Amino acid sequence: MSRFLLLIALAAAHPGCDRRPTESPQGGAPPPVKTPVGTIPGPGVQAPVATNPFGSSPLAARAGRQWFLGYNCAGCHGGHAGGGMGPSLRDKTWRYGSSSAHIFDSIAEGRSNGMPAWGVKLPEEHIWQLVSYIQTLGTEEEVNPPTPIPPPPQQ
Amino acid sequence: MLRTLPLVLAVLALGRTAGATVPTDAGVDAGTVDAPKTESDVGYAPQPQGPPPAKLPPRGQQLPNIKLIEPLPSGEWRLPAGDYGNTRYSPLAQIDTGNVKRLRVVNTMGTGIPRGHEGNPLVVDQTMYVVTPFPNELIAIDLDDPTGPLKWRFHPHPDPTAVGKACCDVVNRGASYADGKIIYNLLDAHTVAVDAKTGKEVWRTKIGEVNRGETMTMAPLVVKNLAIVGNSGGELGVRGKVVALDVATGKIVWTGYNTGPDADVLIGPGYKPFYAKDRGVDLGVTTWPPDQWKLGGSTVWGWISYDPGLNLIYHGTGNPGVWNADLRPGSNHFSCAIVARNADDGQVKWAYQLTPNDAWDYDEVNENILVDMEWKGKMRKLLLHPGRTGFMFVLDRETGEVLSAEAFVPVNWAKGYDLKTGLPIENPSKRPHMGTVTKDICPSSSGGKEFNPAAFSPRTGLLYIPAHNTCMEFTGIEANYIAGTPYLGASVKMYPGSKEFQGDLVGWDVANARAVWHVKEKLFPLNGGVLATGGDVIFYGTMDGWLKALHARTGELLWKFKLPSGVVGNPMTYLGPDGKQYLAIYAGIGGWLGATAFPSVSLEDPRAGLGVTGAMQQIKRYTSPSGVLFVFALEDPKEGK
Repeated sequence: MSRFLLLIALAAAHPGCDRRPTESPQGGAPPPVKTPVGTIPGPGVQAPVATNPFGSSPLAARAGRQWFLGYNCAGCHGGHAGGGMGPSLRDKTWRYGSSSAHIFDSIAEGRSNGMPAWGVKLPEEHIWQLVSYIQTLGTEEEVNPPTPIPPPPQQ
Repeated sequence: MLRTLPLVLAVLALGRTAGATVPTDAGVDAGTVDAPKTESDVGYAPQPQGPPPAKLPPRGQQLPNIKLIEPLPSGEWRLPAGDYGNTRYSPLAQIDTGNVKRLRVVNTMGTGIPRGHEGNPLVVDQTMYVVTPFPNELIAIDLDDPTGPLKWRFHPHPDPTAVGKACCDVVNRGASYADGKIIYNLLDAHTVAVDAKTGKEVWRTKIGEVNRGETMTMAPLVVKNLAIVGNSGGELGVRGKVVALDVATGKIVWTGYNTGPDADVLIGPGYKPFYAKDRGVDLGVTTWPPDQWKLGGSTVWGWISYDPGLNLIYHGTGNPGVWNADLRPGSNHFSCAIVARNADDGQVKWAYQLTPNDAWDYDEVNENILVDMEWKGKMRKLLLHPGRTGFMFVLDRETGEVLSAEAFVPVNWAKGYDLKTGLPIENPSKRPHMGTVTKDICPSSSGGKEFNPAAFSPRTGLLYIPAHNTCMEFTGIEANYIAGTPYLGASVKMYPGSKEFQGDLVGWDVANARAVWHVKEKLFPLNGGVLATGGDVIFYGTMDGWLKALHARTGELLWKFKLPSGVVGNPMTYLGPDGKQYLAIYAGIGGWLGATAFPSVSLEDPRAGLGVTGAMQQIKRYTSPSGVLFVFALEDPKEGK
């Protein structure tokens, strides 16, 4: 539905196009785009944004912390998500987007550099709780934040 | 809205579990870590330091009681360490203790890949071959042209899934040359052979399943018609193995696993381990809880050496899977072991396990340096192994008998080794357990020395060990095996072992089993390899990017040069077409410890990077990611004016 509107908008924005893609090449339903990572071509259309049903619930964040350890997220992304085999989730760099919906998709669909597609294995609820936990990282609300690192050897 | 589901059920749905519950934070962050105050807090006193050798033999000669496996890498460098014995000794002597300060950069080349550049180039037929980190490109540089242009660049396009399965950055430790081919491993668990002249792929063989966490990072060793390779992935519950491939075709000739039934390990009637603890039927099964050996790690990601006289290859094995030792009671053979195999069929001649039921992640993949030398008045075929455990092992490489095991860095997990039984004399208070926080274990998981190889000079009888002085806090927690994800059951924090130094280039007198000097690095562990030369200069790089040249006899610093990125690779040396001696090294911080320099790692998390960030707090101040080959040569004295 949203894809259909998007295509109409695209066509309207580019009247010079000699072929108007009003339907997918095979004539079937266009593939769903849950949360676009890239920009949306053409003006005026916003993608629908999925929202975390748990919002900023501290209980959900605590549950997410448990899944973070239990599903071995900590092994790759660090015990407090500071990175390692996988990138830090504490920093401000989000290659695939930092919104709740983007983080959900990164977990559910996996990413090409080794991030597994957890959506095949985990209930949606657990993934949203992981999102809740990840969004507390580095904030006052962080569940079990890292303890301070002792000062380095004297210079 | 929130329902707290039973954790156990949810996790069981994913696959096997070790232990009954899932990991929690209980006990993990019970307190802050205090860095040990003095060396004596963290280690048993090492052997008293001895004097360095009084004098050196005449130029071009070796000490009379030392014999190395020939050929040594004189003009070219065809094998990962230069030679079969892994001495990393080049007899080239144009660059010497008197003129080394005249070294100048004569060429550089960026690889364009800002990740850890472990290993070293090869030089064959006036061509230099550089293997990059993932995507594992192979670059051929024309040495006949002084400007060093490329001949070609081979792009193997490995599966990018491997990037997220590799425990410790996307490194590669180099290649071997044989039969007109450059043979090396791809991160996605394939071995590839490339025509050394044309840069065209000759064959590619799949060795492991990257989706299960198997990767490859080690440098193959070619022995006769076989390329010997091993897998990585001990942090992801893979099953470690060593594989021999036909150099001509890439076909697998034999595979020796390091866990499982004797038939898989390639143990038969010829298996004659020295110690009773390493004898028995199917130890690779019986020393594990049921089926745990299938996830038992014991990978082969380090160096392989070869003795043509005995026709034996020697390799180490990595940590057992899972990290948490309480989850796998038993000795866990053949993890953390040195294994001698017949080069032709892989049959094990002997094996010696260094840490039964390893509880610290002391992989024993470090190099095994093969030297014939006088030991207590008698010439013996020795194997020198500066271990992750912090002990310097001297073994008889024919039998596997341990002749000596002395600490070369502060060590407190064990007081030493009982040479009668081959067992460590453990300090029970430093063995981590489930649910408890064990503080101040030294060395840390990265070891008294990591994979980065030492060098041995037959002119001094000294081994040059690039060492770490890093300690850790280790907490055992529950673990879940989920294929293709880390399988740890541990939460680790590492930190400097003293305020004075964290790295140490140890000059080690092999015959007397003691250090003769230490050159200490305050900031970081030494995570690059060492080169020894006939000019009595030894070279190595530091993680803050200094290339250093020391006097091989005294350890005196003769020259240093600041590189644009930290060093985790190994210096090598060769003769150019002009007959001059050159020195080559990579600048390119990375690897397990060095990946803390990457923007993708947040240093405020002491448990990031499998727990290394506490030891590397200063890294981003002192270096940054890059990937550059540097080539040095002596400046003509007339030109320098």
